[in-house]
Amino acid sequence: MTAVTVAGTPAAPPFATARAMLRLHRPALFLWTGVVLAALALMVWGYGWLAEPAAAAYQRLKACDYACSYDQDAYLTYKDVLRYASYLVTFLPLLVAAWAGATLTSRELESGTAQLAWTQSVTPTRWLAAKLLAPATLLTAGTSLLVLLHHLLWAEGRRADVLGWNDILIFQANGPTTVALTLFGLAAGALTGLLLRRSLAALAVTVAVTAAVGFGLNWFRGYFWPTLTVTAPLKDGPWFGGSVVSYGAVTSTGAHVPVPDCAQYWSAAKDCRAQLDKQHIVRFYSEMHPYSHYWPLQLTATALTLALTGLVVLLAFRVLERHTGTVAKGTAV
Amino acid sequence: MTETAIAAAALGKRFGRRGGWALRECTFRLPVGRVCAVVGPNGAGKSTLLAHAAALLAPTEGSLTVLGTHPAAARERIAYVAQGKPLYPQLSVADTLLLGRELNPARWDASVAERIVAAGDLDPKARVRSLSGGQRTRVALALALGKRPELLLLDEPMADLDPLARHELMGLLMAEAAQYGTTVVMSSHVVAELEGSCDYLLLIGGGRVRLAGDLDDLLAAHLLTTGPVRDLDPHTVVESRTTGRQLTALIRPRGPLPTDGGATAPSLEELLLAHLRNPDAPALVLDPARTPAQEPAA
Repeated sequence: MTAVTVAGTPAAPPFATARAMLRLHRPALFLWTGVVLAALALMVWGYGWLAEPAAAAYQRLKACDYACSYDQDAYLTYKDVLRYASYLVTFLPLLVAAWAGATLTSRELESGTAQLAWTQSVTPTRWLAAKLLAPATLLTAGTSLLVLLHHLLWAEGRRADVLGWNDILIFQANGPTTVALTLFGLAAGALTGLLLRRSLAALAVTVAVTAAVGFGLNWFRGYFWPTLTVTAPLKDGPWFGGSVVSYGAVTSTGAHVPVPDCAQYWSAAKDCRAQLDKQHIVRFYSEMHPYSHYWPLQLTATALTLALTGLVVLLAFRVLERHTGTVAKGTAV
Repeated sequence: MTETAIAAAALGKRFGRRGGWALRECTFRLPVGRVCAVVGPNGAGKSTLLAHAAALLAPTEGSLTVLGTHPAAARERIAYVAQGKPLYPQLSVADTLLLGRELNPARWDASVAERIVAAGDLDPKARVRSLSGGQRTRVALALALGKRPELLLLDEPMADLDPLARHELMGLLMAEAAQYGTTVVMSSHVVAELEGSCDYLLLIGGGRVRLAGDLDDLLAAHLLTTGPVRDLDPHTVVESRTTGRQLTALIRPRGPLPTDGGATAPSLEELLLAHLRNPDAPALVLDPARTPAQEPAA
């Protein structure tokens, strides 16, 4: 018997496995680089050349009380670029989810190449770890860069008053939640692929689940941090500044009640004064988040998404272990 | 070094809780250094058995050891070519071999893999998706043999090849296996591709082991008898057919044979066909470590 027996064989150098994974997903690597570069170019253009003129134009218009000519082109171009950039960055997690669902594990199981990979010297566990870690590194780097630039692009043009921090897309694209959601899409793709073992089905499910998590985060975003209560006199109507979670009316005893139908629009409020008096309503209140709550909200959403991602990764490893029957490494029966 | 390549003890596998048994009560032992054919009809459980040995499936019951240890612990020392020879279609031949090197850093023998690919006149830059069936098989074998495995598991490796490519690749495989003393386990239902290359046989039918043992021993344990119709006791009858007053039977002799008839050694094909046609024939497991042959009740 001349076959080699290597006692205590050294494990594969981690970079070799990661390099192998990157080579397997080379088209995706090129696509990702392309998307990041295109978004980068768009936002650098907006940041360097459009934001300042747009802000100047808007400030000039405001100074003359909206009664003079201003550089409308500069304003609108900046607004468009900011909007496109927000869309691009906000929908990155879905793009990643689609890719991860369609190819990461599902296609390997569908075409049988997973069996090829799992019978090399690396364990299926390491295979999945490399499958997740290599893209996760690149996705984190790329998305972080884009989110940072988006934040700069938005902040630089804040004086142009185009879109507030609380706008759904701006909020999403401005902070690390998007980075976390991208990683969630990646992990969800790996898990659904292992469960469904069919490329197309895994693509659809991964995109749906990632979109649901994204929408869910947005839906419940207001509850991620204690709100501030502000009140407003009856003549002003409820306060709608910042990010309002809920609003209502305050009675003379201090109780919070719903706003009567006739006062839903503050311009009509004086017409239903009798109605308000009858209910002893003296002020309006709003439960809201000021801009100072931006980071606590972002970071809570990010932490939640990362926790969810961790759970999905854990599940993916569990499913893989059950699938391949890899009990503790090296245990003899 | 362990002397047993694969040992199965009452190995059983059921897919899903309500699914049927793909393997049941499989017990056999394959010594190292042999070229073993796993034969059986479609759906007999050949692929399931090989996937267990390759640590791709966990048994539902019983156990399986590969090279003296848990299959997952033997992962580095085995190579497996799945049915259909899955390869990454987007990679070039050279990149496929590079993948083998990166995923098997401790064992990879680039010269073996490159020699196999070069012998097939393959362009290393050609993408796997552009290759013919025979070329793909060659690349899959290069990837498997480049690992310098102690145990090589091949699931119907030659199934979709023309006779010429089959002959050529079989020759290549046997030469490489002989050079390094590799144990080869190869499933097939083409008897022709096994004759002359295999020295160990595992016949599987309905998820159970029907025959297991050294090929020559198995052949020697059977006789093809012809003679007048009669009771064949005490011999074990695998198959008997009556033509007029003549009886032809494949038996496992258990004592002196009747003198008024002919008895010849069966060919491999006759042995296999008789067992495949009669799934109820009692199983015969010849274990070189245990003598005499044990014959469990069917």
